[in-house]
This record gives sequence, structure tokens and C-alpha cells, in this order.
Amino acid sequence: MPDLQTVAAILSIGAVSIAMRLSGYLAADAVPKAGSVARIIRLAPGNLSIAFVAVGCFAGGWTSFIGSVAALTGMVLLKRQWAALGVGFIAAALVAALR
Amino acid sequence: MDMTIIHSGCGSASPVFTAAGFGRGMRAAAPFLVSNGAAGMVMGLAYQGLGLTLVSAVLFSLVVYSGTAQAVTLGLWRFPLPVVAMITACIATNARYLVMGAHLRQLFSGLPRRRVLPTLLLLADASWLMTTADAERNGADAGYFLGSSVPMAVGWIGGTALAYVLPIKPTGVIAVAASLIPLAFIVTLLPGQWRGARMWLPWSISAAAALVTAQFVGSSWAMLIGGAVGTGVSFLQGDDA
Repeated sequence: MPDLQTVAAILSIGAVSIAMRLSGYLAADAVPKAGSVARIIRLAPGNLSIAFVAVGCFAGGWTSFIGSVAALTGMVLLKRQWAALGVGFIAAALVAALR
Repeated sequence: MDMTIIHSGCGSASPVFTAAGFGRGMRAAAPFLVSNGAAGMVMGLAYQGLGLTLVSAVLFSLVVYSGTAQAVTLGLWRFPLPVVAMITACIATNARYLVMGAHLRQLFSGLPRRRVLPTLLLLADASWLMTTADAERNGADAGYFLGSSVPMAVGWIGGTALAYVLPIKPTGVIAVAASLIPLAFIVTLLPGQWRGARMWLPWSISAAAALVTAQFVGSSWAMLIGGAVGTGVSFLQGDDA
């Protein structure tokens, strides 16, 4: 059985995720399609992603770094997320086995 | 879902919600059953590595249903759970749904809300893109949106569950590699977010700010603060995505 803290966290994140999906439709007139706020919404994902990756690679050491580089290379070359994840997974497993 | 054929006009100006559109969307998105299934499975492996039960993992993929938000919150997963940081990260990474939802409202204007709103629970980047493209060819059809969303959701949630059912247990080297999956998931999104050489400066500053934050404030807030600083730099140098 999952513990209550885990379930509560998942449901909280889920509620936010559902609210984000519905809010844009419900408040369409209030959601800016141009201007500064819209630009920030468009610019944020890339910057958030690279910040997440930097911390993950730093914290995970060589295994994470090489696995990430392999996944990135896989994505650029194969253009399939599931295949790139497989490449990253195999690379990280190989590095972990060699260390 | 109960669907009534309202109108089935190819290229019609007024939006419709048709069974024919549903079928067309299902067929067009069928390959996602496999690709989302595979990606969902690796996410399930990562959940196993963290010690989450099958019920928790499936619940995660069912109610959150966002690879980006799930990967990011998974990266923050340590007890006591930093729920505020996780929710903030979820809002930041899912802010794009606001824009997508507002666009779908324009596309499906005139259709009853009670019919469209439940379908938005399955809103995904790919189904939104496919629906937008299909609307230009065949007219706006909420049935197509729902039909294209179903294989993606079934693949993702089913794949997460499958990781627990198949005889794959993340121990040793496999456990180490599985712990990389949330990070690798975000890494695979980077090429799609790269907009050319102008990204070097804000992305470098994002990364540096995140590392400094992780060192002195804590890793839970590193992504948010680093991302915010980088977004500010992108904004100031006049970028647009």
C-alpha cells in the first residue's frame, strides 16, 4: 500500500496539472496571447529544462553526464524520444558497470 | 464518452464533435500507443527505482499525465517531500497548457463546455499539435482531439503499469541507470526547445544559476531559480520562442 504522504503529494501535483489543462480553456479571454506574459510563458520551458539538466548532471556525476549526453545525441540523430531514452539508459548502465 | 454527431462537414467553418473525427484521430495517433508505451515504461522503471508501489506509479501517470512534470517532480523526490517546490515546478513546466487550452477554446468555440472540458484531461503537446494541423485540413473537430489523445494516454499509463508487471527489477547497474530516466527525459526535450545561437547565453546563465542555487540554497529550488534567471535573460535580450 502506498503511504499517505506519497498519495497526497501525487494528488496535489495531479490537481495542479488538471487545473492547468482546464484553466486555459475556461479563462481563454484572460490568457494573454501576446505581450510580455505570453513571451515569458514561451521562453520559460527551455530555461527551466536546462537548469534541471545542469543540476541533475552535477549531482549524478559521470553516470548522469554520459547518460544525458548519450540521450541527447540519440534524440538529435534518431528523433524518437523512446529510442533516445533507451540509448541514454544503456549508456548510463555501461558507465555504472565500469565504475 | 458519449458522442453525438453534431455535424460532419469536411473543412466546415463551425466546430464539430464527430465520431468520424474520433476514429480519424485514433488512427492517426495509433503509433503513439507504442512510443508513449515505451516512454511510460521507462518512467515506470524510474518509479520502481524510487520504491513507489504500482498503485502510486499508475496514479502518478493517470492524474498528472505529463512526462515533463512527472520527470521534474521525480527529480525532486526525497523525503520529506518538497510538495511546494514540486507544485511550483509543475505550474512552471505546464504553463504551456494555458496557451494550448486558450487556443482550443477558439478552435472549438460554439461547442458546449460540458462536452469539451472532459476531453481536456487528456490534453498533450502532440494531440494539440495534431488537432491544430487537422483543423486546417478538415475543420475543427473535438472528436479528432479526443481520438488522437486516447492512444497517447493509454500508451503512457499502460506503459507505466507494464514496467511493474514485466519481470524487470531495477537493481544494481539497472537501478543506477533507471535513476537517470527523469533527467534523460528532460534532456530529450532540449533539441525541440533550441532556437539557435542566441540560446547559449540564457541557457548558460540558467545552468550556472541553478548550480549556485543547488550549492547554497538547495536542489529543490535550483531548477526554478535557475530557470527564472535564464528566462529573464532571454526576455531582456528580446528573444521569443
